[in-house]
Amino acid sequence: MIWKEKYAIGVEVIDRQHKELFERFNKFLRVVRSEQSMEEKIADIEETFNFMGEYVIAHFDSEEAVQRKYNFPEYERHRKIHEDFKKDVMEFKRKFEENKYDEELIMQFSGRLLTWLINHVTGEDQKISKYINRKEEE
Amino acid sequence: MKATYINPIFIAAREVFRNMFSIELERGDLRVDEKIVPNHVINVSIGITGDLNGIILFSFPEEMVFKLVEEMAGMEFKEFDTFMASAIGELANIITGNAMSNLSESGYACNIVPPQITVGLNKSFSTASKKILIIPMQAGNKSFDLYISIKE
Ligand SMILES: [Fe+2]
Repeated sequence: MIWKEKYAIGVEVIDRQHKELFERFNKFLRVVRSEQSMEEKIADIEETFNFMGEYVIAHFDSEEAVQRKYNFPEYERHRKIHEDFKKDVMEFKRKFEENKYDEELIMQFSGRLLTWLINHVTGEDQKISKYINRKEEE
Repeated sequence: MKATYINPIFIAAREVFRNMFSIELERGDLRVDEKIVPNHVINVSIGITGDLNGIILFSFPEEMVFKLVEEMAGMEFKEFDTFMASAIGELANIITGNAMSNLSESGYACNIVPPQITVGLNKSFSTASKKILIIPMQAGNKSFDLYISIKE
């Protein structure tokens, strides 16, 4: 997953976090997609998944704080999208703990996550950017 | 099967492709058929329940799926696998979800059922309506089809 400048929303702290998030997701993705056997890569999968997961939660918190600061009108809707996503991640984690060698589960989850993250950053998060820009023009 | 469903679905697809891939989707001429016989190998169907009932099926050529997923992932893939299926399924899921929230502005409250991915030609799909609308989509130099089978 490659960061592109056009993904920036123009709020420095958020853009920095998004870049970091992309990097962490990439580390996870590279491990998941490596040709090693599950036995060989399982520890790395867990480590990179946790490394990314912790960051997502911290990032959502600061993104929501930025939205509150600017009185972003779609705050509640956006917060719910974050909450649903966190539930989804927890659900994966629960299933993963049950059977750590379920490669299908990991592939399914990480493929979905890839599309979800890019869509969220280029779709929902761009709405924050548009709103802030409009507000600053006024 | 009303044509009023078409625009909210097209708009949702166009927005997602524009945001995620910087691709401007263009709509080809609508066709009508009595059953779903997909033209392409990778098919994602999403069920719709609520005020509207039926399915939307995204039919993608394999080459296009590789291109989209490889661009998102920033890595190359050797074969179509669970990861790719899940990534392209989520894309269809997002577009349909957005389409349904566009439609909710016209007063239709609907839910969607998680995507089902089938690979291969000559697969059959059960439909909700007697008439199936087919929207050919041009995505840069590639094309895919949307099959819409919805009834109220
Ligand atoms: Fe967000």
